[in-house]
Amino acid sequence: MKLGWGPKEEAFRAELVAFLDEQAPPEALVQRDFDSIEDDSGDIIPAWSRKWQSTLFDHGWMIPAYPAELGGRNCTPIQTLAYLEEMARRSIPRSFHFPGYAIVAPSLLEFGTSEQQTLAPAAIRGDTVWCIGMSEPNAGSDLAGIQTRAAVHDDHFVVNGQKVWTSYAMVAQKCFCYVRTNPDVPKHKGISLLIVDMDTPGIEIRPLRHITGAASFAEVFFTDVVVARENLVGGLDDGWRITQGSLAHERAGLWVESVSRLEYTVGSLIALARRRGLDRDPVVRRRLAEMYERAASLRALGYKGFASFAQGSSAPEHSFMKMATSELGQECFELGVEMQGAYGTVVDGERSEESGRWAHSFFVSFASTIAGGSSEIQRNIIAQRVLGLPRG
Amino acid sequence: MDFTLSEDQELLRDTARALLAAECTTSMLRAHIDDPAAADPLWTHLREYAGLAGGPLTDHHLFLEELGYVAAPGPFFATTALFAPLLGTVDHELLPAALAGEVTGTVALAGTDGRWRANDDPVKTFVPEADRVDWVAVVSGEPAVTLLRNPPTRLVRTVDTTRRLFEVTVDASGSGEPLPILPEELESIVEWATVALAAEMVGTARRLFDMTLAYAKERVQFDVPIGSFQAVQHKLADMALDLERATSAVQFAAMAHDAGDNDRHRATHVAKAAAGAAATRAAKDGIHIHGGIGYTWEHDLHLFIRRAYGSEHWLGTRAEHHDLLAEELLI
Ligand SMILES: Cc1cc2nc3c(=O)[nH]c(=O)nc-3n(C[C@H](O)[C@H](O)[C@H](O)COP(=O)(O)OP(=O)(O)OC[C@H]3O[C@@H](n4cnc5c(N)ncnc54)[C@H](O)[C@@H]3O)c2cc1C
Repeated sequence: MKLGWGPKEEAFRAELVAFLDEQAPPEALVQRDFDSIEDDSGDIIPAWSRKWQSTLFDHGWMIPAYPAELGGRNCTPIQTLAYLEEMARRSIPRSFHFPGYAIVAPSLLEFGTSEQQTLAPAAIRGDTVWCIGMSEPNAGSDLAGIQTRAAVHDDHFVVNGQKVWTSYAMVAQKCFCYVRTNPDVPKHKGISLLIVDMDTPGIEIRPLRHITGAASFAEVFFTDVVVARENLVGGLDDGWRITQGSLAHERAGLWVESVSRLEYTVGSLIALARRRGLDRDPVVRRRLAEMYERAASLRALGYKGFASFAQGSSAPEHSFMKMATSELGQECFELGVEMQGAYGTVVDGERSEESGRWAHSFFVSFASTIAGGSSEIQRNIIAQRVLGLPRG
Repeated sequence: MDFTLSEDQELLRDTARALLAAECTTSMLRAHIDDPAAADPLWTHLREYAGLAGGPLTDHHLFLEELGYVAAPGPFFATTALFAPLLGTVDHELLPAALAGEVTGTVALAGTDGRWRANDDPVKTFVPEADRVDWVAVVSGEPAVTLLRNPPTRLVRTVDTTRRLFEVTVDASGSGEPLPILPEELESIVEWATVALAAEMVGTARRLFDMTLAYAKERVQFDVPIGSFQAVQHKLADMALDLERATSAVQFAAMAHDAGDNDRHRATHVAKAAAGAAATRAAKDGIHIHGGIGYTWEHDLHLFIRRAYGSEHWLGTRAEHHDLLAEELLI
């Protein structure tokens, strides 16, 4: 057991710091509460961030664990941790669209044909924007219940159906699309994964405004969309395995960003309490300390999980991180809103704390306990897969 | 940032587990309720590990976690987590004997308010094992340390039958010269002991959790194990989260103290508060999931529930540590 970093990691970190000092654009240095799906320009993927992502890739700083041709530098897991910490400490985003580098590329590298694997570099560099077509009107948490049909022909599929909540659909070139290829078997066994070009005839995209008013996700309709056979990822009817797929490096590192954002938020809550004259209020003090306690203990839990991950064993600790950080984040923003009394809901830039950031981020945070497996689904997973309890 | 246990640490933990499973049974804990001497045989084994008090906190606390798992009674905590560190700080000649497990001791510091900070109150409170140890080290307001033998004590019963806490009347004419100690040195000793207790509590929480998880898998109602009901599953998931984050926070705090890291004061309060959350949740939800059987005297669960609440209220409650943390964060 050892606190801090060894000389190897420090040297690695110094190299990163030098790169960031030299190359990071000013827009990347703005502190953010969440992987904000919008920036001030209102673009889903602002131009500066596209450029920044490709710069990271070209210098081997996009996914450092990968080899150079995939935007990395073959670094060790512990160096990856040092990298993620430094990025998070400075609140520097790698990308404004995570599906490509975090989900699509690792899945293609693990399950794709050699032809399909050639799509990975552009996905990681951000040159290709990907969206993930999982959720449907009748299949959310129960993902295996998807009904979008792909009729199987000799050399192609014909897709009919609808996806919903598809983030980035309106800006994406490609979709990682889960479809039903066999309706006659138990639902987990008839799902396949297709790569679908978003400009294929028969695809209609209807943007959906989300709760803060911005449009970052969409409904996607498929009418007789023809997809070539070679766009099948993994085996026919074997798509479920990929949804459970090995996103090891991203999974193992995502918590660093979540925890760092939490700590940043707790820090801003303390500053807010001071500005509102509540820093001597015993109730507020205890609540702030509790938030700090929970965030700090989650960081320690993340480290502990990383230790087993780096040694090659699975890390049950990470199952807790998504649920715990998202719920604590919501509570932090709620407290920030609450501390402002009558002004808590004011988003008028001139009349509110930090341009209405607290109410805005509170609303944005609602998504965090729903998307990507709701908190209830996370608890089910912990109970059944980590604790070994029987399915209900 | 390396949280992996070394091979030696794993060995220490496994040895402790095996030893304690054999020597610290719940029937001994029950016998100890009426006769504290029932825990004496345990001490003859544990004294061999008293030297842990002279090494890194990470090792010592790993061992204490196992003691918490079995709710071990006796002088080990008082001697190794309070007395020996105090002797070490004032450079007392008894230290080698304490580390060798040849003498036992405890520390009397908290005054009437039950808080562990220097004071001149004539009666010290919440002193563990005061009637059965060889030495009671009394800390006065200056602060300074005086070692007493057999001072007048009064057992103050708490819900916890596994840890005996006392009032100690401090005779001003106590034997020997008071040894001066710096306020920051005393603060460190209290912080180490606080993290040590948090480590113990993590063990107790884990015991409660393990018992409850096993019961949820085994108890059948409506023709299925109760652990298949989502309401029960989600309670267990939340217990597991609090337990895991407390375990990590305690480990982090011990590492921070070992390294003299600036974060160690905050980490101490985080550790005790997180351990308190884990232990009391495991106790409350644990008995709830056990249903009626958990409410009986015969079932062993209450022994650990008692330990959990006793520990939560010793060396600072979660709320008190939040207040101390707020001092660190807001001033
Ligand atoms: C901002 C945002 C972005 C998204 N982006 C994408 C995307 O890019 N691609 C994509 O495919 N999807 C995306 N989603 C969809 C997201 O994955 C789903 O919203 C999520 O899986 C939940 O499904 P649902 O909305 O249908 O809710 P439901 O599944 O209907 O859940 C409703 C409520 O019921 C609870 N519930 C459901 N099942 C259980 C159960 N077994 N036990 C206990 N409680 C249960 C849930 O926890 C929830 O509280 C996005 C969602 C959001 C909010």
